[in-house]
Amino acid sequence: MKKKWTSVMAASVAMSAVLAGCGGNNDNNGAASPSASEPASPSASASASASASPTASASEPAKVENFTVSLRHIQIGEPQKFRKAILDDVVKKTEADVPGLKFELDGVEDSVNRFTKLPAEMAAGNPPKVFSLFGGAGDAQKYAKAGRLLDLTPILDELGIRDKFLNVLDSFSVDGKVYGLPIGGNTEGIFYNTDLFAKYSLNPPTTWDDLIKAADTLAQNKITPFAVGSKGAWVPNMLVNTLIGRVAGEAAIPGFKSGEAKWSSPDVVAAYQLYADWEKKGYFTKGELGKEYGDMLNDFVAGKAGMMFDGSWRNSAFKNDAVGAAIAGKVAYVALPAVPNGKGDQTAVNANYGEGYGFSADLNDNELAAVKAFIKNMYSDEMQLRGLLEDGVLPSMQLSDESIAQVTDPLLKQVLDVLKSAGKTFPHFDSVVQSKVYTETETQLQKLIAGKASPQQVGDAIQKVQDAENAAAK
Amino acid sequence: MKTTLKNPYVYLLFVAPTVAMYFLFFIYPTITSFVFGFTNWDGLNDRKFVGLDNFANAFKDAEFRSSIWNNLVILLFSCCIQVPLIVVFSLLISHVKRFQGFYKTTVFMPSILSTSIIGILWGYIYDPDVGLLNSFLNVFGIGPIYWLAEPKWAMFSILLTNAWQWMGFYIVLILAAILGIPKDIDEAAMIDGATGVQRAWYLTVPLIRPIINVVIMLSIAGALRVVDIVLVMTGGGPAGSTEVMASYMVNKAIKYGDYGYGSALSIIIFVIALILTALYQLLIARRQERIEY
Repeated sequence: MKKKWTSVMAASVAMSAVLAGCGGNNDNNGAASPSASEPASPSASASASASASPTASASEPAKVENFTVSLRHIQIGEPQKFRKAILDDVVKKTEADVPGLKFELDGVEDSVNRFTKLPAEMAAGNPPKVFSLFGGAGDAQKYAKAGRLLDLTPILDELGIRDKFLNVLDSFSVDGKVYGLPIGGNTEGIFYNTDLFAKYSLNPPTTWDDLIKAADTLAQNKITPFAVGSKGAWVPNMLVNTLIGRVAGEAAIPGFKSGEAKWSSPDVVAAYQLYADWEKKGYFTKGELGKEYGDMLNDFVAGKAGMMFDGSWRNSAFKNDAVGAAIAGKVAYVALPAVPNGKGDQTAVNANYGEGYGFSADLNDNELAAVKAFIKNMYSDEMQLRGLLEDGVLPSMQLSDESIAQVTDPLLKQVLDVLKSAGKTFPHFDSVVQSKVYTETETQLQKLIAGKASPQQVGDAIQKVQDAENAAAK
Repeated sequence: MKTTLKNPYVYLLFVAPTVAMYFLFFIYPTITSFVFGFTNWDGLNDRKFVGLDNFANAFKDAEFRSSIWNNLVILLFSCCIQVPLIVVFSLLISHVKRFQGFYKTTVFMPSILSTSIIGILWGYIYDPDVGLLNSFLNVFGIGPIYWLAEPKWAMFSILLTNAWQWMGFYIVLILAAILGIPKDIDEAAMIDGATGVQRAWYLTVPLIRPIINVVIMLSIAGALRVVDIVLVMTGGGPAGSTEVMASYMVNKAIKYGDYGYGSALSIIIFVIALILTALYQLLIARRQERIEY
């Protein structure tokens, strides 16, 4: 008897050790708490899915069931603080709207989330319930085709906000169904330091000649013409994208995937050649391949560089209470000027509505109610306007002229003016081409910067991957 | 109680959790990745058997070939430069009369730090603008060197950091062997008039050869699996100049979502490591005789 008892004890100790291990693992996955996945009492889930106002939940306080929803965001660090504040308010509001809901926020650096964490989670089939998602063939569309993303079309119809979005949902859509929602948009262009330009009597870089003259003058005076941090190749890829749009024409970029444009064509190679020439002339930060994206802003703010080619989202960094406060009021924004002999519309600017939120396809009733309320609160006129005014993010939804007229920040006004005077817009190729092609553009661009590949070799190598991917898609 | 502990099944019960975990986190992934290596699995869609395509592509892949070469550079550096230096430092420390404990602790210190911390720490040392190294070189009028940003310097910088991290550990191993040699052998040689260098080369080194072999073995294994320091310091850059096999595999599998190809690469890495260590064992280490004092 005693022997048996001891064996049972030993077995239970062993089992509890195994279970403890498994339990810890579950927590790490950040999945919803087990209570959320248990069938909720019908009345509780019904009241939740009706996205009840606080009064409705107050009428049945006893039946409220607590549950958590994981939310992965990329608003970390000082430059993102305005957008994080908006997210925090949306989270607070949604938690108030849905009884028992608690969001578990998980902030991860942008490229780590996009290229490492989220892909691994998608492969394992356990992404967070709400997560930062990029549009395009390499992200949203790929995951949507694999059935990992929640079809938002019925929710958009239910909330009646589908028509409120500008024409920006394509990169999040597959077969007419919407799988993600961009929180806003941006355009990419040149920020320049007006103090430095005045010091060296330079004209604003609105024409090609003025731009080149400015770059040469700055370089002669030992000031880096363009700050750049190329450790992550997506940073220099911004300028490459617009150079391709200018030199090869704005139609080239959507044409890579359809086969109408080729990376190895003389036009696109000419754009890479231009980049290589600037590299040779010393227009970019020395040691750029070791510099991070954040270093680019630091160099620009410190006055070590006269210009930087960056996304319009950076305009909020030059407010008085932001990371670039040192040069607040001394920064101006222009589009890349017309390139001599460039093809297509030379006033066209790049416009991206790539960054947004996606939602796991695997949701229970409670979580679905939370997601609906999150969408309702995040994609509202109020938050879109706040995004524009506080964070300088271009709205992805229609805003009234009166709302837009509230913009007082001069730098943000310049961004809006640039967009207004643009004849056409073109996307960034990272939201167009397949992820393998995009990664190849990064690999090859770094080789070009390091002087290990010629522009033609770069174009040929990328086209080879593009051909393979286009063939595989057929 | 006594009878319980005589029952072999009780012991089995106690090791069962460990065995289960070992199976779950080691055996199972090893088997599955071996299977995935022959498929085109992208992590999202159904996998299709593609035979040896992944392996054929790997050897056609110039980037992978260059990452193999980078691993070999690390291996040669470890065995041909690091190991002799380790032996020299050990000999020097073993002959120090005062503060020997201090030297031992000092050289050992870096190997207890985590690689991430070392990577970040050395990132500051290598910083082109405010880094320690460039500030020092600046005194001699040597212009800023972009240690981690220029392809020609990046690999050297990684090698230096890696050596700094691991040399202390090996020095302590060899030091223990040297201090374990009976003193009378050394004293007899001294009486016969052998100089310090002669005693070190003709007596100490042959006597500690078995442990040097172990150090070389560990260096080979270490050089083949080096990846953390690369990921922290350069991420394989600039322009692939510090890409090693393992970092390339991680990028392919995770960033590209090419799990099939990534698994094939991991099998190739495993085979290369197996061949190199086997070669070393068969050709060099086996021929050593046992040393008895």
